[in-house]
Amino acid sequence: MGKPLRHPVMPERLKNSAIQILLVINAVIMLFPLGLMVLSSFKSNAEIFDSPFALPATLDFSNLLRVWQDTEFLQYLGNSMIITGASVMAILVTGTLAAYALARYRFRFSNAIFLFFLAGLMVPLKLAVIPLFIELDTLGLLDTRLGLVLVYVAMGLPSAVFILTGFLRSLPGELEESARIEGASEARILWQIMLPLARPALVIAAIQNAVPIWNDFFFPLIFITTDSRKTLPQGLTVFMGEYNTDWGVLFAGLTLAALPITLVYIVLSRHFIAGMTAGAVK
Amino acid sequence: MFAKTTRRLLLAATAAFAMVASAAQAGEVTFWTWRQEDKAVYTDLFAAFTKSHPGITVKFEAFPNENYNTIVSTALAGGKGADVLHVRAYGGLEAMAKAGYLVPLDPAKVPELKNLPADALASETLRADGKIYAVSLAGQTVGILINKDLFATAGVAVPTNWADFLAAGKALKAKGITPIANGTATPWMVAVFHSAFTNPFLGPQFVTDMLAGKTNFEDKRYVDALARLLELRDMLPAGFTGVDYPTAQQLFSTGRAAMFVGGSFEIGPFRRANPKLNLDFIAPPAPAAGQPTHVSRWFDSGFAINAKSTHSEDAMALVRWLATPEFAIPAAEKLGNISSLSNAPNSDPLLGKVAELNKTAMPYIMLVHFRYESPTGSDLLQDGVQKMMAGTMTPAEVGKMITDGIAKYYVPFQKK
Amino acid sequence: MTTRAARRWRQGAWITLLLAPALIILAGFVTLPLLAALRYAFYAFDGLAPAGFVGTANFETILFEAPYAAWTMRALGHNAIVFVSLMLFQNGLAYLVAFALLKTLPGHRLHQVIVFLPVVLSAVIVGFLWKLMLHPLFGVINAALALLGIAPHPWLGDENTALGAIILTNAWHWLGFPALIFLAGMQRIGAETLEAARLDGAGDWVLLRHIIWPLVAPATTIVFTLTFIGSFNWFELPYVMAGLTGSPGGATDVLGLYAYRLAFGSATAGLQDFGRGSAMAVLMFLFLAMVSAVALKFLRRREMEL
Repeated sequence: MGKPLRHPVMPERLKNSAIQILLVINAVIMLFPLGLMVLSSFKSNAEIFDSPFALPATLDFSNLLRVWQDTEFLQYLGNSMIITGASVMAILVTGTLAAYALARYRFRFSNAIFLFFLAGLMVPLKLAVIPLFIELDTLGLLDTRLGLVLVYVAMGLPSAVFILTGFLRSLPGELEESARIEGASEARILWQIMLPLARPALVIAAIQNAVPIWNDFFFPLIFITTDSRKTLPQGLTVFMGEYNTDWGVLFAGLTLAALPITLVYIVLSRHFIAGMTAGAVK
Repeated sequence: MFAKTTRRLLLAATAAFAMVASAAQAGEVTFWTWRQEDKAVYTDLFAAFTKSHPGITVKFEAFPNENYNTIVSTALAGGKGADVLHVRAYGGLEAMAKAGYLVPLDPAKVPELKNLPADALASETLRADGKIYAVSLAGQTVGILINKDLFATAGVAVPTNWADFLAAGKALKAKGITPIANGTATPWMVAVFHSAFTNPFLGPQFVTDMLAGKTNFEDKRYVDALARLLELRDMLPAGFTGVDYPTAQQLFSTGRAAMFVGGSFEIGPFRRANPKLNLDFIAPPAPAAGQPTHVSRWFDSGFAINAKSTHSEDAMALVRWLATPEFAIPAAEKLGNISSLSNAPNSDPLLGKVAELNKTAMPYIMLVHFRYESPTGSDLLQDGVQKMMAGTMTPAEVGKMITDGIAKYYVPFQKK
Repeated sequence: MTTRAARRWRQGAWITLLLAPALIILAGFVTLPLLAALRYAFYAFDGLAPAGFVGTANFETILFEAPYAAWTMRALGHNAIVFVSLMLFQNGLAYLVAFALLKTLPGHRLHQVIVFLPVVLSAVIVGFLWKLMLHPLFGVINAALALLGIAPHPWLGDENTALGAIILTNAWHWLGFPALIFLAGMQRIGAETLEAARLDGAGDWVLLRHIIWPLVAPATTIVFTLTFIGSFNWFELPYVMAGLTGSPGGATDVLGLYAYRLAFGSATAGLQDFGRGSAMAVLMFLFLAMVSAVALKFLRRREMEL
């Protein structure tokens, strides 16, 4: 490593300020469109087009109210939370078990099974929607939340297994070995030693799956027809179709659709970051 | 059938799971459509249906337009779906009817079909068996919507021929008004724009020749008509290649553009978006003064019965009612459509004017005649004209591309 | 002897137990329906129903017959552009952002939260927002450029800039994800290693290039693979921003849109053909599987060597 360094090193302070400035610019670029969306939800159509980037003239809640009143917002929200929560939990549990097996044990077909999971990542499942529909119908799972959860778990497992296997594989083996010598059971090693070390990867896999599941409206549109079981993006997509030229209402719908998961993310971000940095403490 | 073998395969693979039959309510007919924005109108009208047909209620379900094909074809392939379906016309209808998913409507059992003119019936007929599969809802007419106030303030007369049209464009532009709201970012709007302006130059004889297999889209008449569209580029908004359908609607309804090239179905939404808009609907310009004008026309959609419906009698009652003036007249008024029924006039003066223009209408060629097989004429046309307007393809190249694409399945275009 | 066999049996049972739930769900709800759909690729369709076995005719149509062959190659080319630009631009930037965050400058926690914020949004929201920002008439991007004296441009309406604009939007949306994977990888390197290198006189560039880069190899493998598969299955963002036909004039058409359009048609132009759509899906899968298998082998070897 340590290649001799010849070029003069920029004063550390100056460099850090430069990096800090770039981070701030990056933050502005990241936040600006979001602010725009929230602001636009308070605007009338004319305002959006005449002064798209100005503050709204008045704090007009009528767009947001319309979304709230004309849809079963809370019902949809509840369904989305149940479906996303259950799916992510199931993905993490089954995905971790499978990834653990693939990463920490040598056995026949381990490579083939890994590739089988990986292959699941590459398939355009939208194009298999007809057989999937017939299958759910046959199992009596059509138009049920459980059916949707099973589809999401199956879709999410490949990437979860892929990410978790990658991380688990790179964990050092000493801790595991010494625990084994001390006579700890395999399950105990998994639960008490390896799992805490894998926290960053679990967090990444959880978010990576929660986001698309939360936002998906394609599968609910096809599988769920009973109003009381509809998800938030599904309900709002249909609702916004009724107002497809009223951009203020559209933005209000988008904001309300994004709000729950954004709030959850911000509230959990401390744990999220703690989870991320946990890997550094060794 | 595929559904059956798949089902068997899955049953074998998944062993013992109890079948849970979804028990639908007796006397309730489900209705699916992509017209989410018409929910209120249909809900009202279906309440009237229940009044005249006690014991039958209709459950209205709307889906996003762009996902409707996928949702319906998936459900139908799985033997499910609504009892009564809002279906497309022409090739879209054939795709469903050919698969046996729809109930053919026997004129003896659906005497209301008499209310429909021949070309409306043709739009919902499977050409292979000559049977009618749906009750046509409305005819749509492509022309130009104009903002009369803008023309008045700019002191520009409403043009009726090509030279005047171009001059009017220049005059409006000089006053700081965008002459035409349309852009080319939304492909289907490009097709509407194309049909509006090329049809008067093509004339009915071109269509006759085309259907007789005597010519194709490399015909000089067609290439010349396409080239006319390029003359309109100065009349479109700045950056028109990036102006999509909602933007064009905004430009027109907020009074920034004087004209909107579109279908008669735009009248209702524009009135709702801006009640103060002083609207008129005119025919696209004739090639020269004294020559006839032609709007373009097609039949839009229809109502069909799902072959797997568990309420087929109630569904039949609903579809028959949908072919009567009791439904058609109020629906046309509230939706701002021109009903397909010949005995359902629209009392709205503007729509009355559209009906008048329809007397010299030409077909909206690609939809009416070249959307039965892939690649469809519409696919090819939208792609080509979009490029032509952006300047990356010439009219002759577009004509050749359309002809070659259709030649894949259309014998008269195949060169020996 | 017996205890050894018993232990081996127990180990086998334990591994089976670990793998079984995930495998059963994946096989049941992804593999099985896909195999069922795969059969469609070998059937001609007349309307929505299959009209007879045609062998490989659908594959031949989309690969070799005009105009489909040209459309297929065009879409494939666009996917390749998407992949390369996301690797270089989005992931390269993410690598630098991760390094900047690793420095734990004041406010780094907040930056970490912010950089990841767009990732939680749906492609529908992101696409819609950016479409408005890129709008030729009302868009803020043209307004900002006007301040610099640059003429307004229809970014999404010009065949030369449309794909690039959507790729940049994608980079904005997803930047936080590779950044976080890289950061997680970098944090596992350990402060001592970095400190030691610094004491040896290594500057930031040397650290990034010669110390950190080799050590984040597992993270790179993950990022590379997910970007590759994501780029070639790209669907939602171009769908929201450019429509099912890859407007303008197919300049943003990618394989995902194309396969979906072949199978389900578009409401305003095309017809449905499950045969050709499924054939396209099969080809996409085979392509992805082959390239990924080769790439993974290479990347794994690289991880081992480093």
